[in-house]
Amino acid sequence: MSSRDRPMAGWTDGDLPGNVSLGRGSCISGPDAFKRFFSKCDVALSLGDRSRADGVKFAIGPQGHVAIGHDCYLNDCILLAEQNITIGNYVMIGWNTTVSDSDFHPIAPAERISDAIALSPRAEGRARPKALCQSVFIGDNVFIGPACTLLKGVTIGDGAYVEAGSVIAHSVPANAHVRGNPAVIVSVDLTK
Amino acid sequence: MNGASRYTGNRKLPHDWYDGVIPDNVVLDSTNHIDTSYSFQRFRSRMERALKLGRNAAIYSNSMFDLGPKACVEVGAFSMLNGVAIICDEAIHIGDYGLISWNVVLMDNYRAPTSILKRRAYIDAVLNNESSVMDLQTLPRPVTIGANVWIGHDSVVLPGVSIGTGSIIGARSVVSDSIPDFGIAVGNPARVIRYLEAPRTGDPATL
Repeated sequence: MSSRDRPMAGWTDGDLPGNVSLGRGSCISGPDAFKRFFSKCDVALSLGDRSRADGVKFAIGPQGHVAIGHDCYLNDCILLAEQNITIGNYVMIGWNTTVSDSDFHPIAPAERISDAIALSPRAEGRARPKALCQSVFIGDNVFIGPACTLLKGVTIGDGAYVEAGSVIAHSVPANAHVRGNPAVIVSVDLTK
Repeated sequence: MNGASRYTGNRKLPHDWYDGVIPDNVVLDSTNHIDTSYSFQRFRSRMERALKLGRNAAIYSNSMFDLGPKACVEVGAFSMLNGVAIICDEAIHIGDYGLISWNVVLMDNYRAPTSILKRRAYIDAVLNNESSVMDLQTLPRPVTIGANVWIGHDSVVLPGVSIGTGSIIGARSVVSDSIPDFGIAVGNPARVIRYLEAPRTGDPATL
């Protein structure tokens, strides 16, 4: 089904979870959008007006929250939120980009062993050790190319341009142009 | 991850969406979990113990065991393979308590040769399913991943690499050289950026 066949507002496949708010003219599509959506927040996911999320996977934990502004275009990316992911207005995010606000597992070797045990097939309900979570902020007019990775705690400044395949572990200043793994700044001011 | 969806002993998974079986030379027990037999679609190993799963190890969907005829893969106890591609012609060893994230590729052989003519012969062999030709093109170099290693999503571990106990490989890294124990390595190519403090109680694999 091409994007033209879809209605330009609302969710088109099954029931939209009750704690998702869609602005006027915004659209979420794709069979896997809410496969890993476990948030119990009052408003777990909000899209502003005229935003589109085509094939985006919203993997949101019980306390997770994702806010997307107006006029954003997100295409086949993965948003993993245990805390907060905030995306501004006029943001583009490309295919296969992963944005996460948590480490998933603890860093300390001994704690990681107990996490592996808690995750094993027969350990249902066993408490997992805490992994570090830090919110992610993406400013206005940001471009994030395909196959990028945004790790926890990063802030992407307004107007930044993140090239394809970049791995962002540290915050990016406004209007910067970054690329690479690990990402480095190639130019500081795109407005000049 | 629930009790009903575990291996029942008849080599067919009760919860499987794919109409296949677990090959006979996969060694596993009732504590293991495998999401789908589709992960064995490219399984060609003829070794007696081609894949050995430690106790409580789990293989989740999107994993693929692309094993050549002489491949032996071992996955340690409590290890979790969450959509991992394993390309093996000789040996890949994953230690206990491994956490291996989605779309990670572990390979012990590039398979396709670098010379253009040989690569053409390889492609012809693959397209004609001539296993005898396609398995002799390049030499495998075994991969060893120690206990308690965590590999971030979309990373690639190249042939001949060994990763030490307790190490962390960052997301989307390409590991082309061996990583020492308790190192944190990130980037392409992966470089050690710092070291973790080793647990004081002796061998971490026995914690």
